[in-house]
Amino acid sequence: MANALTRRSLLGATALGFFGLQSLASRNRARAAEPDAVTIGWPQDVPSWDPNQRFVPDAQPIFKMVFDQPLDQDPKLKLIPNVVKSWELAADARSLPIELREDVVFHNGDKMTTADFRYTFFERIKAGHKVDIANSWRKVTDIEIVSPTKAVMHFASPAPTAPQWLAFLGSYVVPKDYMEKTGVDGFRDKPIGSGPYRLAEYELNARIVLERNDAYWGQKAKMRRVTFEIIKDPSARVAATQSGEVDLTISVPVREVQRLKNEPNLDGELNPITRVILLQVRDDLGFADQNVRLAAHHAIDKKALSQAFYGGAAVPLSVPATPGTAAYLDDYRFSYDPELAKQLLAKSGYSIEKPAKFTFASTNGNFPSDYDIARALVQMWKKVGIEADLEVIEYAKYFELNRGAKLPEATLYSFDNATGDPEIFAGYLLNPKMPFSAWKGMEIGQRAIDLFNVANYDERVAGYKTLNKDAVESGASIPLLQSVQTLVRKKNLTYTRYENGWVRADTMAWG
Amino acid sequence: MIVQLLGLFARRLLVAIPILFVVSALVFVVLRVLPVDPAAMSMPPNATKSEIEAKRQEMGLDRPLPEQYAIWLGKTLKGDFGASIHFRRAVSSLIAETLPATIELALLAMLLAAGLGFAGGLLLFHWRGTWRGEAADLGSTMLMSAPDFLWGLLFILAFGVLWPLLPFTGRLASSFARPVHTGFLLLDTLIEGRLDMFLDVLKHMLLPATALGLAFSVPIMRVLRSSLYEIDHADYIRQARLRGVSEKRILLRHALKNAILPTLTLMGVQFGFLFGGTLLIEVIYSYPGLGNLMVDAVRNADLPIIQAVALAYAAVVLVINMIVDGLYLVLNPRLRAA
Amino acid sequence: MGKRLARQDLAFLRSGRVIAGAILVGTVMICALFAPLLVPHDPQEQNLITTLVPPAWSAGGDPEFLLGTDSLGRDVLSRLLYGARVAMTVAILASLGAMLIGATLAHIAGYFGGKVDWVIGRAVDVWMSFPPVVLSLVLMTGLGAGISSVILAIVLVDWTRFCRVLRAEVLVTRRQDYVAAARLVGFGHWRTLTREILPATMPLLITLFSIEMGIAVIVEAILSFVGMSVGANQSAWGQMIADARQTIYESGWNLVLPMLAIFVTVLGFNLLGDGLRRSLDPRLMQAREL
Repeated sequence: MANALTRRSLLGATALGFFGLQSLASRNRARAAEPDAVTIGWPQDVPSWDPNQRFVPDAQPIFKMVFDQPLDQDPKLKLIPNVVKSWELAADARSLPIELREDVVFHNGDKMTTADFRYTFFERIKAGHKVDIANSWRKVTDIEIVSPTKAVMHFASPAPTAPQWLAFLGSYVVPKDYMEKTGVDGFRDKPIGSGPYRLAEYELNARIVLERNDAYWGQKAKMRRVTFEIIKDPSARVAATQSGEVDLTISVPVREVQRLKNEPNLDGELNPITRVILLQVRDDLGFADQNVRLAAHHAIDKKALSQAFYGGAAVPLSVPATPGTAAYLDDYRFSYDPELAKQLLAKSGYSIEKPAKFTFASTNGNFPSDYDIARALVQMWKKVGIEADLEVIEYAKYFELNRGAKLPEATLYSFDNATGDPEIFAGYLLNPKMPFSAWKGMEIGQRAIDLFNVANYDERVAGYKTLNKDAVESGASIPLLQSVQTLVRKKNLTYTRYENGWVRADTMAWG
Repeated sequence: MIVQLLGLFARRLLVAIPILFVVSALVFVVLRVLPVDPAAMSMPPNATKSEIEAKRQEMGLDRPLPEQYAIWLGKTLKGDFGASIHFRRAVSSLIAETLPATIELALLAMLLAAGLGFAGGLLLFHWRGTWRGEAADLGSTMLMSAPDFLWGLLFILAFGVLWPLLPFTGRLASSFARPVHTGFLLLDTLIEGRLDMFLDVLKHMLLPATALGLAFSVPIMRVLRSSLYEIDHADYIRQARLRGVSEKRILLRHALKNAILPTLTLMGVQFGFLFGGTLLIEVIYSYPGLGNLMVDAVRNADLPIIQAVALAYAAVVLVINMIVDGLYLVLNPRLRAA
Repeated sequence: MGKRLARQDLAFLRSGRVIAGAILVGTVMICALFAPLLVPHDPQEQNLITTLVPPAWSAGGDPEFLLGTDSLGRDVLSRLLYGARVAMTVAILASLGAMLIGATLAHIAGYFGGKVDWVIGRAVDVWMSFPPVVLSLVLMTGLGAGISSVILAIVLVDWTRFCRVLRAEVLVTRRQDYVAAARLVGFGHWRTLTREILPATMPLLITLFSIEMGIAVIVEAILSFVGMSVGANQSAWGQMIADARQTIYESGWNLVLPMLAIFVTVLGFNLLGDGLRRSLDPRLMQAREL
């Protein structure tokens, strides 16, 4: 074949060369699915094989296959036992006793004990390992080991969301002895966890192959082999799905889902998940005036955005939380009202001829249609007398800009909160001390800070409910849409849908 | 011969090494003008200002620029390119993983470009002075006006989307386990003796390599044609004609042999461009090579990667030039005798 | 000298290539200059209800949008016309800049020779060891996005194209008798360079300039494709391609049209360059490739 090709090319008939390949190509399309293997087209590689290191929401479903989180969530997001079989947050939320299962072993045969737990959530941080969990667990003053299966976490200040965090970003128990032996770099090269799969093959930015861990303590996965093909380009994921090269993929354009659904062997889903798309706003510069902030919010036709970019599946939001989570307000609506926006602007002396001006930042390609939404917003604002100067920033720069107070007045942002807990929505988004919050106004800000120390769950949730509403009504938060996870899969491939968008290979089966 | 080659390489190295120094200094300065703070970027979101300040000192960012460069250079010379801010891994290992993929793609593309270029050059020359020659010449101008990335996109649209014949992402279908020997997949699959895998790799490379090769074949065909023109008027060709040697034989045995040299020189230069062309093609085809690494790094403002990758590109180009010079020496009887 | 140029003027008017190239470039130029008058719609005007309308001639097309609409419901034809403005602006300014720097250095190096030549030659070597795309990406990282950065990046990358080729030409010209004669008569360096050498290198310079404009159009397209060129409130062809790539399955036209625009423009410049090269200096056509 290679020879024939070169000869053809030499003749200059390149186009003809492609015709010659037709027979070769058709073989590619009709690949019989192995009964216990699945290939998943995934948009992003893991940031590193140290699961504690970086917080990347899209990497969690992969990490969860190789490593174990202390706690887990069920498809409805309720916290459930995992390698930690029981836990009880103290009334003052300053300590958390936990009990580990006895039957958990790492892939190298070592037993998981509270020593590993202490190592992960305390010793690594004290040792200065460069891990993001150093921030989620910075309140930990010590982890007291009671027995190989029992330990108590102690916190410097109330940590009401500690149990949620045990099932959240970056919280994976790593093997102490093994990591100390190999060093962090060695661990990244040959990572082991205690999860339902072990890492069999890894090619940076290209593929991850997992093989079933037959010594897994929990329910055995049906798939023996799971391959993640890292395909960053959405249209390439579509092609790979259509050609049958991958069995399931996520984050394809909404229109593609609708088109692929019509293919006889494919099924498409638009799943709302616990991720909000919103504008993170400042309380100064061009946004010092509350009228301008509120006008900017009233001018946004969220329904149109949802229709145009998410096939109408993205729920328009009036508060920075997703429907079904604890602090969501079912009966509260912030109106789309361009006339009101104009009136508000007029009150502050602005009009279409003399528009209010500010800078607006957006990522391009960080989440589906982000740049499209940003450009649509600019147009919606233009119609009421707001002139926004759109600049593109990289997602990685958000924190750095925010730290230096260099973020523009508004930034289009997507915030993932797989736990659904209100602290990790409004709390993180509005607490001026958090790196996520662009808002530094203390009237709203102090209330968010105070809520971090409320130990009682019901009191906390009630506090966040009023905070949500007040933040929106004072223009401190401009929520837009609930994010939609698009998913296309072979019809006969089943999986369990999680409300937070986790696509777990260990729930997959050919049916 | 070997001595001459070694001498040439030594001379070339003497030139290449200072060039690499200047290149590295240039890149270093350009990237330090950036409005990003590498210290802040490499810290987790919740890091405090004092932690970042400590990090700045640790990274030597508070010192004057020449000193920073000296530190960086010292480390680089020891093979330590630093750690990626985004991946938090050694940059050298990232490059080692991606460079073979890019070289492999560039070589295949160059092969296609050379094949197309030689065929086209011969045709252009053969048809000189006829309406066919004019048409072919016009065709080559048109070919030249479509840059590689346009071909890349067009091929995806044609052979990936409208008429799904060929894969247009990655290097290998997922049903195969990737062999790990050299990092050059074409080679690795052959080492394993897996022809099916070899073909699959080739299939994945076909569209991107053709896109690159097509764009770069035009200069080759044009130079070949011009060289053939010149040689056509040379005395020994006239004499051969007088002796009654057939046109075909003259073209293939005498003229082509001598026209190869300038063409080869040009291919050396072109390979530099082509190697740079892989960058965008890799992005378009989600091909896990140096280019994708670079573009990701630019997006994440991952300075250590940008620096090292830019240097890697320059180093490869210099090595290629050296090889071309060596080939030139080997092929050119006059130089060899001297 | 004047007479020779006059004859050449006629010669290149006869060349089919130059005519064809001039027509193509001229058309794009007219589109660019008169875009505000020609466009049927505001190129930024979105309509989220009429997104991805196919071109008027295909099923589901709407004569109001002759070439259809994009994923934000913007009129593709209008965006193409405005894209020509960006392309032409970059092509002209960047090529002028690259030519000024490259040609100046080439003349200095070729004319004076010696150490100056050596230094400039090494600088070219350093530059050439970078693949242009990589260098422009590094530069853009440092300069930040924006059309002026694009122009600057192209100037900083592509001056070598002029310098390398022109230097050889200057070297040849310098050895000509009439140049030596000029020096003997007592012409200063400046006068010799501008009055005697420049006219001789001019044909090559013009040819190079025309081809560089094509290259600049491509580089601008690449940079706007990776999102480093114009902002969101302007249209550029590369940006249109990047947008269309997201909807490649629904609307191939959105991808093909800006590609066609780039192709036609670059073809125009290349035909012009090719034709000029043949007419202005037949010797060059055979002896040297650019």
